[in-house]
Amino acid sequence: MNHKMKKAATGVIASLLALSLAACGSNSNSPAGTATNGGSGSSGGKVTLELAISKSSQDSAFVAQDLLDAFEKETNIKVNLQLLPAEQTATVLQTKLAVDETPDIIQYNLASAVTDLNLERNFEILDSEPWVDRLLNKDVLSANDHVYSFHVSQDTGMQGVVYNKDMFKELNLSIPTTFEEFLAVCEAIKASGVTPVFMPFKDNWAANIWPAAAFADYAAKNDPTLFDDLNSNKKKWTDIPEFATLLDQQYQVFKKGYTNADILSDSYDMAVGKFLDKEVAMMFMGDWLIENVAEKDPNIHLGLFAIPSSKDASLGASPLGGQLFIPKKAKHMAEAKKFLEFIASKEQAQKIVDAQGYVSNFNDVTTPKLPDYKQEIVDNYITPKKTVLTMDAHMLVDRSELYRNLQDEFAGGKTPEEVLSAWNDKFAQLMKDKGVAGF
Amino acid sequence: MKTKSLYPYYLIWPALLVYCVFFVLPALIGLFYSFTDWRLDRETLKFIGWDNFKQIFSDKTLILALKNTFIFAIVTVIGKNVLGIALAIGLNMRLKSKNLLRAIFYSPSILSVLVISIVFTPMLRTDGTINKFLEAIGLGVFGQSWLTNPSIVIWTVALVSIWQHTGFQMAIYLAGLQSISKEYYEAATIDGAGVWSTFSKITLPLLLPAININLMLTLIGGLKVFSEVFVLTGGGPGNASQVVGTIILRAFGEGNWGMGTAINTLLFAAVTVISIPLLIFMRRKEVAE
Repeated sequence: MNHKMKKAATGVIASLLALSLAACGSNSNSPAGTATNGGSGSSGGKVTLELAISKSSQDSAFVAQDLLDAFEKETNIKVNLQLLPAEQTATVLQTKLAVDETPDIIQYNLASAVTDLNLERNFEILDSEPWVDRLLNKDVLSANDHVYSFHVSQDTGMQGVVYNKDMFKELNLSIPTTFEEFLAVCEAIKASGVTPVFMPFKDNWAANIWPAAAFADYAAKNDPTLFDDLNSNKKKWTDIPEFATLLDQQYQVFKKGYTNADILSDSYDMAVGKFLDKEVAMMFMGDWLIENVAEKDPNIHLGLFAIPSSKDASLGASPLGGQLFIPKKAKHMAEAKKFLEFIASKEQAQKIVDAQGYVSNFNDVTTPKLPDYKQEIVDNYITPKKTVLTMDAHMLVDRSELYRNLQDEFAGGKTPEEVLSAWNDKFAQLMKDKGVAGF
Repeated sequence: MKTKSLYPYYLIWPALLVYCVFFVLPALIGLFYSFTDWRLDRETLKFIGWDNFKQIFSDKTLILALKNTFIFAIVTVIGKNVLGIALAIGLNMRLKSKNLLRAIFYSPSILSVLVISIVFTPMLRTDGTINKFLEAIGLGVFGQSWLTNPSIVIWTVALVSIWQHTGFQMAIYLAGLQSISKEYYEAATIDGAGVWSTFSKITLPLLLPAININLMLTLIGGLKVFSEVFVLTGGGPGNASQVVGTIILRAFGEGNWGMGTAINTLLFAAVTVISIPLLIFMRRKEVAE
């Protein structure tokens, strides 16, 4: 009897086990099968795309909830956002790509993807996607003659001094064209009781806006092959004394008391609030900040002028930021491509271009009337060809250590010369590690 | 008989297997990678001998990180243990509110470092609560940019860590104190021993097992510090508060994974070389008492 009981119990357990294993098998196979077929929900299961994006880019037009909802309604494919910490975005993505835990779509900067994420090895070439034939400017989405990224716009981010036009008007100030004039403007603003410049250098990348434009402006005017020489080790960062002067200029703005008191404790995410509350008049930043402020309060009029590091400096043009990429090992490749197709559709692209004031990159999508600040940039800088591609666009390696050195300058730990010397050593080591000739 | 004597060892095998698969094997693989040029942008691995290690010791930032790691470890070992013993002795007395106070002092150690960071970051600003408090009690002259002054930032992080974890050390010391027989203290009282001699001749020697455990835990934790620095300062300002843990992250962030594993191997070696002799020394003292 006891033996029979044991046999019966074993039989029941074995049946349950077999049943549960079969259930597990069907569950785990379902999404993979769906993905391979490329159909959304064709086998009954709903596909969820993972879209990884830096927390600092969470206002991106590509991840607006109404857009994601419309995509889900049309295709039955859900998009789940993976918000990555701003300072760790590159590290987290590198790790995910290395261990094949790849998101289906990544929002990143094309120039940085080349240096940080090994674009060729890790990302899908999109040359044959249906929307590519409609592109007006393939170059801004391409590297090594292939389209690797997606965007509805062909604008590049413009970097300079974001300023409150209303405050300038009230104080009867004009846009400074030299560093001395800039200091005079700061003095007048400070006298009015407003902080002239907001420096959120807890985020060390923010300290790079001034040098990125100023170094590039210097090179364009005085030594057009300078960045090529730096990248081939024909010149060192310490060989250009003017670089130290340019770094010192930004430091002088802080040293003379024209900034927020606690620059190393204040972070970029405070910037919009500072402008909305009219606590500050200026900030060294990109035109994306103007968009962010205008979204919250369209009655605040902000503009952008070139970093006044030298007489009549050019406006910095950063490589186009915030494109979408599809990793080669995306689990839902077909659905990810469908997501890009959806955004590229005439209707959706037009909505985004209209809402953001973008210069359209599709031949059937109309560029809307540009916002005032953007039209001014076009009139004052782009049309008269007074823009220069920022230093970052010429760098082949990770810039984090440069940013840390800049932060160190403001912490009192390094002089401008020491910043350049430390970066020179690190740059040489990174280039050597990368296997670049000459290092 | 023989089978019976081996029986307890059979029970260890599953745990040993899990330990080998999830710790020993990855550690050995890591050791192998530390001698290679394993990088994000390389398709193949190349054995490069000691190159990673040579490069580590020519990196000024890593030397600074090592210095910071040792400052953090020493400050936290002393702070957590001295305060832990003091709190444990205080809360081992007959106090009405001792259970409540024990819970209060222990509670920070169950919080996530992230929560601690969110609470402390605004408090430690130049215009934060701590400086305002110092000003209110007439000690405004001691006000600081606690997290942005390069010369004190690592000390600030160490103090936050002491604040958070001392309660945990206190709990271990309390357990140690309660295992000491009251008869020793009664005898000491009859003999007319003072507070200090009771502490130094009875409490301290008999508390040695707890002290050893706490010293090892705080020392190893201090040398492996990462999360406190990462969430409070990110290694900054600049590189001022970099520790070995954040340097490893930096190496991985630069795509130089071979270098990252090499620094990790060094950290493992340093923790082993420091902690094992200390453990042996402390154990001997324990036996001698």
